[in-house]
Amino acid sequence: MNRKLLLLPGIMASLLAAHVRLCAQTPTDALMMNKGQICVAVAYTHDTWDHYWEGALHRDNGNIGTLTRQTVAPMFALGITDRINVQAALPWVKTEASAGQLAGVQGLQDFGIWAKVKALDKPLGPGDFQLFGVAGFSAPASDYLSDYMPLNLGLSAYEGTFRAIVQYQLDQGFYLRSQAGYHLRSNTEIERDFYYTTHAVYSNEVDVPDAISWDVVAGSWLFEKALRAEARVEGMNSLSGNDIRRQDAPFPANRMVSTRVGAFAQYYTPFLKGLSVLASGSYTVSGRNVGQSTAFTGGIAYQFGLWK
Amino acid sequence: MKNILFVFGLFVLAAVFFVACNDDDFPTQLDIALYDYASLDENGGQWRPVLLSSADQIAVPVPAAVTSPAYQAELEVTRSAAAGRNADQEAAAHYWGVNSTVRWNEIARELAAKYNLIPAPNADGTYPAPNPANPGEYPLFPFAHPPYTARMLAYLSAAQFDALIATWHYKYAYERPAPYVTDPSIPVLLPKNDLPAYPAHEAVVAAVSEVILTVMFPLEKDYIAQKAAEHKQSLIWAGVNVQSDIFAGDSLGRAVAGIFLARASADGMKQAQASRQVSDSLRDAAQEMFGWHWENLESPQRPVGLTPLFGQVKTWCLPDLTLTRPPVPPAPGSPEFETAAQELRDVADNLTTDQRAIANFWSDGFSTYTPPGHWNRLACEYLVNFKMNPLRSTRVMAYMNMAIMDAGISCWDAKYYYHYPRPSQAIPGFKTILGIPNFPAYTSGHSAFSASAAAVLSHFFPADAPRFDAWAQEAAESRIYGGIHYRFDAEAGITQGKAVAVYAIQRAQADGAE
Repeated sequence: MNRKLLLLPGIMASLLAAHVRLCAQTPTDALMMNKGQICVAVAYTHDTWDHYWEGALHRDNGNIGTLTRQTVAPMFALGITDRINVQAALPWVKTEASAGQLAGVQGLQDFGIWAKVKALDKPLGPGDFQLFGVAGFSAPASDYLSDYMPLNLGLSAYEGTFRAIVQYQLDQGFYLRSQAGYHLRSNTEIERDFYYTTHAVYSNEVDVPDAISWDVVAGSWLFEKALRAEARVEGMNSLSGNDIRRQDAPFPANRMVSTRVGAFAQYYTPFLKGLSVLASGSYTVSGRNVGQSTAFTGGIAYQFGLWK
Repeated sequence: MKNILFVFGLFVLAAVFFVACNDDDFPTQLDIALYDYASLDENGGQWRPVLLSSADQIAVPVPAAVTSPAYQAELEVTRSAAAGRNADQEAAAHYWGVNSTVRWNEIARELAAKYNLIPAPNADGTYPAPNPANPGEYPLFPFAHPPYTARMLAYLSAAQFDALIATWHYKYAYERPAPYVTDPSIPVLLPKNDLPAYPAHEAVVAAVSEVILTVMFPLEKDYIAQKAAEHKQSLIWAGVNVQSDIFAGDSLGRAVAGIFLARASADGMKQAQASRQVSDSLRDAAQEMFGWHWENLESPQRPVGLTPLFGQVKTWCLPDLTLTRPPVPPAPGSPEFETAAQELRDVADNLTTDQRAIANFWSDGFSTYTPPGHWNRLACEYLVNFKMNPLRSTRVMAYMNMAIMDAGISCWDAKYYYHYPRPSQAIPGFKTILGIPNFPAYTSGHSAFSASAAAVLSHFFPADAPRFDAWAQEAAESRIYGGIHYRFDAEAGITQGKAVAVYAIQRAQADGAE
């Protein structure tokens, strides 16, 4: 009854959407802290699905019902220089299924740290063209088990991420942005030394497929930069792996694919300089070996100067 | 700019580290070094077979003399094939190696894992069932659940054992030397020994395995045939047999396998997945007798548990099921029951990482080789470590797998006789970390399978008896950690498995090999 894999694309997307975005700065956006500025944030994400894709087959499962994944993700982003930022996040996750007998799980998931570098910032026509590079690393922050899908907290693998972001922003506030990232993943260690994917494997290690993630975003700053609103399409594609077989449980070696649409807004409150609240929602429109999740995130971020 | 380069340099290093750590070349089979047999068991042809009336029940023709032109022509074929073998052929010869019974067991386990998936519900909430008459239609035949896999492995091992007893009989009756004895110029790839070459024991193993496994996994006919053909051909590439050795072995193996398939076709397995009506009557009988019954809690509910009549399948060594039927379990609500239920709650609430790991290590659920397969894997490692010849190997595997199947039959007899509810049914709100099997709780199948296997292995490898016993205890305990069995299920299963194994061990003690 391992269904963990189903969650992963949803998790990844919602984590990126949630913890990364809160500070108005995530590994996937085009925001930077200035030197000496720090943004601390916490986001809560509520992610559910009652259908999933077993390979290409779209189905429900009476022994899962609705699967709910809640994430609380504290994070920070720090401006080392105006062009180099460091970000980190440590999500706590809780899963449960509304039907069936499988116990839910809760605990710390993966600690992630990223460096974002602004490589290019050039006036171009009526706006500004920017190019960023992001490199990051994440590691399991507890001894949670990946081989418990779909109730697993995560893939329990070390991950290196390499990402490029481009953005073109008009001077009046409208912007288009896109990013693509490569996720280099280690094996995950499971608690048995035999499993079957497309063949028998005698090992307690499982190859978690590398993946690419991407998004295309249209957004705008409104009300004299008090509000930022975005619409987005995003995706995650494993680069290898096998399909969940008929009535089998998902497994960390599955090839997971998902495409999501979503919206995001961040509002800088007039009450306290640097304080903002944010909200986002996303919906999985297509997938393979993942849950068709709907996720909502709410969060609060506070930005202030640490040094000059 | 320097800063940027530094940061990216760090991440490039991290990437290199990742790639270095990400070794996807996982083992798919046991690594077996070529070895010399610890013994040749020259009198193995006199051992008592399982089903054959005698070692010469199947006739094997007298081979041509090694001096005959026919044999000399065959010898030349082997010599030139061995001399001209390419890297792939050499790899095949190494793969089949000195103990192909381990390889065929591995193939059988892999197929068990491949076919061990429970049918999905139909859109209307009913469940389809595999149909042996139309195996390719979903759900594919077979559903290689633990009873199915136990039985498959028992027929495979016992048929191999009988066929090799017959093989040994004819080897020493006809005394045809190996090709490399007659022609020392043949470049032999495998360790040489004094076993007579006719009939080729490896060809016997290939033929038996092909015939049995093809019936057990009909959709794999072509795959199995290709494996068997490669196995037999590898004997020529290795330089250890001539064609008539292989031909005689193949014929003998097929004939012996046919005798086992005749038993299999009438052993009661066809009726094991009972009708709804029969299934309900078992449930009602338990309710009447004991005041409880087990229910499947899946959604939609599976109307019939797994093989309610597996307890009526013909046993191998166990003469009578009443000999190993466990006592009545504690009634739900009784103090003894409450103690067991409280233990489960306590374990679930305070599960340690070690307990979780034990539950998962022995879980052997869907998409795996099942608990019988797990013990076959462990046993195969012993065969190799003890450098056993194929005959000696199949003897261990035959008795172990007959005991495992008998333990399964005895266990299933108790399961559907007592029809005892799982903890998730009897304890309100109880959650588990393992999937709940589709059959009653008492006794624990894992415990019965494991205890029987451990007892037989302890007989053959007495120095490691404590280790086998510890494994069986851990497998039994794993179901408590997983939340799907009470301690009394596990304890009764262990007792039952041990009791069943006694009859297999008695038979082994009397077969002339000890």
